[in-house]
Amino acid sequence: MQCVLLGAVTELRATTHTIEFPYTRTLGPVIGSFFTGLRDRRILGIRAGDRVLVPPLEYDPETGDALKPDFVEVGPAGTVTSWSWVTKPTRKHPLDRPFGFALIRLDGADTAMVHAVDAGSIDRMQTGMRVTPRWRDERKGRIDDIECFVPEGGAA
Amino acid sequence: MTDTAGNATTTSGDEPVTMMEYFMQLEYSDVVSAPVMRFRDALMDARLIAQQCPKCKLVYVPPKGYCPIDTVELDERNEIQLADRGVVTNYTVVTPVQYYGQKETEPFVRASILLDPPGGMLILQDVLDIPVAEVRAGMRVEAVWAPKGERDVDEIGNRSGSALEGSLRGFRPTGEPDMPAEAFSDKVW
Repeated sequence: MQCVLLGAVTELRATTHTIEFPYTRTLGPVIGSFFTGLRDRRILGIRAGDRVLVPPLEYDPETGDALKPDFVEVGPAGTVTSWSWVTKPTRKHPLDRPFGFALIRLDGADTAMVHAVDAGSIDRMQTGMRVTPRWRDERKGRIDDIECFVPEGGAA
Repeated sequence: MTDTAGNATTTSGDEPVTMMEYFMQLEYSDVVSAPVMRFRDALMDARLIAQQCPKCKLVYVPPKGYCPIDTVELDERNEIQLADRGVVTNYTVVTPVQYYGQKETEPFVRASILLDPPGGMLILQDVLDIPVAEVRAGMRVEAVWAPKGERDVDEIGNRSGSALEGSLRGFRPTGEPDMPAEAFSDKVW
């Protein structure tokens, strides 16, 4: 790296520092059930009054009351309610090619969840588009057991 | 069982998923500042340099380019050569827990060293050539430099503080009489 500063050429040197923390966390009865569902290719929401929350929460966001573990299967397809396009993914992004981060309201759910959409091109992304999950073959009980969502009715 | 990224790989099956592995990794990349570049060059010559604030006279090692107390900019004109010997002002004996990334297996010392005049404080220094139980505040020490061909300052950046082990391995006792606590008690932290 070089930088021209007040007519002088100065050699600049960069250093990299990496901080790493491995965490093991207990999931609890609600997220545990959600992740167990994902491993089994099912997406579970939780009933909160007459609404279904996906991803499920332990507490009703409206009242703060603890929710009963009353799970309901939703999706797997859903509707994009909002999105942004990632033009240059980093290696930490879920996909190694340009993709959309979207809020997706799954069929049967009243709330939207964030996930990646492999649409191929920004031109294919739009609010209201229908998407369906692409499951990994080997699932571990994590949110990325869904590799991403893809436009319904045709691969990207 | 974990994969190379530390992620659990054994939750497939019929058991409920109750745990989650999360491997947090943050990478910082920044350009080494001019004062730290000069500090690195000095280390390669087995020398310690610092900057001294003209107002409050505090000595900053490594040099940081400014005095945060007086908000004064510091540059080469404020740079001073430090002694590579001094006194242990305080220390901790660390009994290593084998957490992720821990390389030490036996109890070790991290000491704060007040360098001889014109001063300067190096923290978290290893104390070599003496049993851990014999380290004490007031003990006179001198720098143990890595041999010339083995010195490495490539990893020293703006955030390194006094982590200098690639060039300055630590400090060892000189054998001189201990200094009384009053000689450095206002410099302990």
